[in-house]
Amino acid sequence: MFDILIKGGSVVDGEGGTPYRADVALKDGRIAQIAPSITGEARRVVDANGAVVAPGFIDPHTHFDVQLLWDGAARPALEHGITTVVPGNCSLSLAPLKAADRPAVVGMFQQIEEMPPEAFTQAFEWTWEDFAGYRDALTPKLSVNVAPLVGHSVIRLWVMGAASQERAATVDEIRAMQDLLRECLADGAIGLSTSYVDVDAKGRPVPSRFAEFDELDALCAVLGEGGRMLQVVPEFYDTDITIARVDQLAGLSVAHGIPTTFSPLFDSRLTPHNVDRVMARVEAQFARGARVWPQMQTRPIDISFSLRRPSLFFARLPTWVRTLRLPMAERLAALQDPATVEKLVAAASADGGATLRMMADLRVRGGGEAPAHLVGLTLGEIAAERGQDTATALISVSVEHDLDVAFVAASRGHDDTDRIGPMLAHPLMHIGASDGGAHLNSFATYGDTGYLFSEFVRNSGAMTLQSAVKKITADTADIWGLKDRGRLKPGMAGDVVVFDPMTIARGDERPAFDMPGDGMRYVRDAIGIRAVMVNGEMAWTSAGYTDAHAGRICEAA
Amino acid sequence: MTEAVVVGAEVVAGHDGAAELLVTVRHENGVTGHTILPADVGFAVMRAAGADNLNDLAGLAWGPIIRRVTDV
Repeated sequence: MFDILIKGGSVVDGEGGTPYRADVALKDGRIAQIAPSITGEARRVVDANGAVVAPGFIDPHTHFDVQLLWDGAARPALEHGITTVVPGNCSLSLAPLKAADRPAVVGMFQQIEEMPPEAFTQAFEWTWEDFAGYRDALTPKLSVNVAPLVGHSVIRLWVMGAASQERAATVDEIRAMQDLLRECLADGAIGLSTSYVDVDAKGRPVPSRFAEFDELDALCAVLGEGGRMLQVVPEFYDTDITIARVDQLAGLSVAHGIPTTFSPLFDSRLTPHNVDRVMARVEAQFARGARVWPQMQTRPIDISFSLRRPSLFFARLPTWVRTLRLPMAERLAALQDPATVEKLVAAASADGGATLRMMADLRVRGGGEAPAHLVGLTLGEIAAERGQDTATALISVSVEHDLDVAFVAASRGHDDTDRIGPMLAHPLMHIGASDGGAHLNSFATYGDTGYLFSEFVRNSGAMTLQSAVKKITADTADIWGLKDRGRLKPGMAGDVVVFDPMTIARGDERPAFDMPGDGMRYVRDAIGIRAVMVNGEMAWTSAGYTDAHAGRICEAA
Repeated sequence: MTEAVVVGAEVVAGHDGAAELLVTVRHENGVTGHTILPADVGFAVMRAAGADNLNDLAGLAWGPIIRRVTDV
């Protein structure tokens, strides 16, 4: 008897093959059979008529390290069809970590991922120091598969203590880091992450940024013993430095026989040659045998701001900048002063109405003090209802709620579908960089896979259905060396997603108060997903999450 | 030898969802490059340049601005 029998769906195998109608049977955690008509009995039958049956999606850039300790489904990632996540990116992981060093790393997670402090004090018992202990703490609760990276910053912190944020390592310290990395890889880490960008809670560079090249080279030598991944956050804000990092990663890749990946890589109309230049160098380095995979996200970038903090959003309006730079009490008083408001509105109106029209498209976000009845409305709608211009509406809504109302200017970067579609489809472009589980108070990092299908398959046709599936399943598994993942073939892991190709999408961004301590984050619900199976067990259906905890720590191929 | 000069500045969407400052600079050797600055650094650059408006940055020498930001 099969555990699950998926009947009548259109099978997309993950390898780019043409979809074909077939039944799929799962048994003992694996794909047991795929055939035009399977008649055997099953404990559970899934009707997939009109739906696609595909390998579970793999998200290669997440920060679910902490959340997985109380939520083994990495909600809402799993309901979007994600069956495997890679946490531990950007040089940060929760192991190996000495008890005495926990506050320092908690500060980094709070700074970089916007994780509330209660997440570290209320949601789990901190029982481990080494990587094996962290792995064991995760494993019983997992509903998704996890391929964890170990962070360079925490390895450095373990070996060097406070000096990890002060100086280069000695030869002996580098050797100790090599031994520690080797141990972490043996205990389940899929690779190493490092960062040239991130800062801690005090604004200091994270430990990995104090490493000299010899240190990274030595660590990559250890990765080379098993052909494991190096993930890097380069200085992505500068094209020339990013290209230099591509060359550096290529050198490490060739020297040690390892794959490398860097993220993020963005497109912008203002820097229209950024991606082309970086990809030209990536192509050149692949041609000489290096593996340097750029990661690009599918979703556009929004700009969020409130009047509580100065934002460059108003950088073309000097009157606004000067007012919003005032200390909080003075700023609030100024924004309640009719004469000041008149000047601000006049400044916003001085360009013939362009700024006021731009403001009309700003949307009220949830969270903070934003009243529920305004959430989701545009300033244009609010202004019309109040009989105000949009600048006055922005100020009055903010003042009425202690300035703690966030507004979002949607799709202000990485938003040109006609440009980005071909970039995502490029054979050397790795689709990822979702940052799932991070930036909790800033924007939702979920639903990028749904957006891939809705925008780049259905709306623009930049990719076929099967090529989009391949990008986030078999390609990802191959890039990362994940054993038995990413393909819908007999014998492979029973990670399966059933979705409607005509409706799959991401839902609207909404606030959720489901973090420890009633902390807020932004999430997106899934659209068009019918069922998600992990290692042969039903993990999610349209009725919700199941009690299954079939997720595992992934094995390297 | 000429100085590096700011060609222009624009507000862009940053990786973390905040507005950031894209500064375009033409360097001494004639090459034009871009760099993207987070909000706090962007404001520091504007202050150091004595700029009330992004448009005020265009045409200013880049080196003295950076030195003043660093001094701050």
